[in-house]
Amino acid sequence: MSEIGQVEAPAGAGGIDPPRRRNRYGTVVWAGRIAVLVVVLGGWELSARVGIVNPFFYGQPSQVVGQISTWVRDGTAQGSLWAQVGVTMEETILGWVIGVVLGVVFGIALGRIRYLSDVLGPYIKIMNSIPRIVLGSIFIVAFGLGLTSKVLLAIVLVFFAVFFNAFQGTREVDRNLMANARILGASSWRVTREVVLPSAFTWIIASLHVSFGFALIGAIVGEFLGAQQGLGLLIRTAQGTFNANGVLAAMVIVAVVALIAEGLITALEKKILRWRPPALSGPEL
Amino acid sequence: MVFDTPRGGRYQALRDLDLTVEAGEFCAVVGPTGCGKSTTLTLVAGLERPTTGVALVDGHAVRGIGSEVGFVFQNDAVFPWKSVLDNVLAGPRFRSRPARQARAEALDWLRRVGLAGFEDRYPHQLSGGMRKRVALAQSLINEPRILLMDEPFSALDAQTRTIMSDELLSLWEMTKPAVVFVTHDLEEAIALADKVVVLTAGPATVKDVFTVDLPRPRTVQDIRFDDSFVALYQSVWQSLRDEVNIAYARTTGSETTPRGVS
Repeated sequence: MSEIGQVEAPAGAGGIDPPRRRNRYGTVVWAGRIAVLVVVLGGWELSARVGIVNPFFYGQPSQVVGQISTWVRDGTAQGSLWAQVGVTMEETILGWVIGVVLGVVFGIALGRIRYLSDVLGPYIKIMNSIPRIVLGSIFIVAFGLGLTSKVLLAIVLVFFAVFFNAFQGTREVDRNLMANARILGASSWRVTREVVLPSAFTWIIASLHVSFGFALIGAIVGEFLGAQQGLGLLIRTAQGTFNANGVLAAMVIVAVVALIAEGLITALEKKILRWRPPALSGPEL
Repeated sequence: MVFDTPRGGRYQALRDLDLTVEAGEFCAVVGPTGCGKSTTLTLVAGLERPTTGVALVDGHAVRGIGSEVGFVFQNDAVFPWKSVLDNVLAGPRFRSRPARQARAEALDWLRRVGLAGFEDRYPHQLSGGMRKRVALAQSLINEPRILLMDEPFSALDAQTRTIMSDELLSLWEMTKPAVVFVTHDLEEAIALADKVVVLTAGPATVKDVFTVDLPRPRTVQDIRFDDSFVALYQSVWQSLRDEVNIAYARTTGSETTPRGVS
C-alpha cells in the first residue's frame, strides 16, 4: 500500500520546495482517509445505538471489536483463533501455489504448442464456464472434511485465472525477441524458459493478485461446506447462532490476512519485475 | 518468396532475387519501402523458408537457423529482463560454452563497444544508441561469419547514427564477417559498404550493383564530402529513384493493379 499521490512536483512550482509540498499533500491524503473511516464506522455505530439499524441483523462495530478480542483472549468454540487462521492459511497457500504452478505450466504449454491448444482449448472453455464453486460439494463428498477438499477447490479457482493470463502472455511475446534468441542459438526449451516465461510474467503477475483472493475464497467456501477447523467454519457457526458480529469479525480477520498476503505479493512482483522501467511497474493502489 | 495475405490472397515479396556476398564483404542493400529487403534477410537467417528456390550459405541450402549467422534487428531485440552483461552472455550460454570463458569474452566485447562499467544496467536504463551497442556485442560475441543487419540504426538520431556507423566499421574490421546491411539511407549504405545493391520495387529483384572503391579505413562523417562519394551517390540515386517512384505510386493508389499481386 504505497502512496497514491507520488506525483513529482515541478521544481520551484508555487515557490514551495517540492519535499515540503509533497509532505503537506501526504498529510491531507491521510486526513481524508481517516475522515472516511470515522464517518462510515462512526455512522454505523451511531445508527445502531440510536436504533436506526438493528444490530441483531447488521452488527455493530464496537461489538465486532469485542468479538475479535474475545476470540483472541479466550479462543473460539473450535479452539484458539490462531489455529483457525493457521488452518485456513495452510489450505489457501497450498491451493494457491499448486494452482499457480499448474496454471503457468498449462498456459505456457498451450500458448507455445498449437496442437495442444487446438485439442484442449474447447474443454478449458467449457470448464471455465461452469460455476466451479459447486465442485466444492463434490470434493467434500469425495475427500472428506479435511485439508484435501479445500485445497482442491482453491486450486480449481486459482488455475483458470492464472491459466488465461499465462496463455495470453505467451501469445503476446515479442516475435523479435524470440527470433533473436533463436538466432543466438537458443533451443526451443531455452526460448520458452528465457524469453517466453520472463516476458509472460508481466501478465502472470497481474493474475497472482486476483488469484490469491480466489484461493482464499476456495478455502473459506470449502470450510463453509464442511469442515472441522478454519475461519469458514467460524463464519458458519456464527451464522448458525444468529451472531452477525461473529460473521463480521471473521470477515475482518480474513481481510487482514488478505491484505498482508497482497503486500507480500507486491513485494515479490517488485523483485521479479525489477528490470522494468519504473513508470510501468504496476498501478500504485 | 510468396506470402499468404490476411484476406486469403497471395503476395509475392521476392522474385528471382540473385545476390551473392563474398566472405568478409560488406554489402549494403537499398530499395524502396516494402520491396522485400527484410524478407531476404529472414530467408538467409533461416527464420523463414522460401516458397520456391533456395538461399545458399557456403554453397549449402539454408534449412533452419544456422550457427554461423548473426542478426541485428531494426527494433530493440535485447532482452529487457536481462542485465547488459547477461544479454551479451546469452549467445554463448545458449550455445553451452563454459561459463567462465564466456564471461571473460562478454566483458571483452562490452569494452570493445564502449560499455565497460554498464554491465549491471538493464536495457531500459540505457539510451537507444547504447542498446544498439549491446545488440552488436550480443551478435558479434558468437563470431558469426555472416552478419545480417536489418536497418539497425534507423531508430537512432542522425548524430548517434554516424557514430554507430563508425563503431560498426571498426568492429567489423576485427572479425571481418560477411555483412548484409539493409537500409533506406543511401549515404549510410555507400559510406559503410564494399558494394551497394539496389532492389526493384516489390516483388524484389536485383536492379543494379555498385562497387564502392573508397579506401578503408573510412570515417563516416568525413567521407560524405569526398568527390567520388558524391559521384557514386548520384549514380546509385539515379538507379533507385525510379523504383522509389513506383513504390510511392502504389502506396498512394495511382497504380490500380500492383505487379506483386497474382
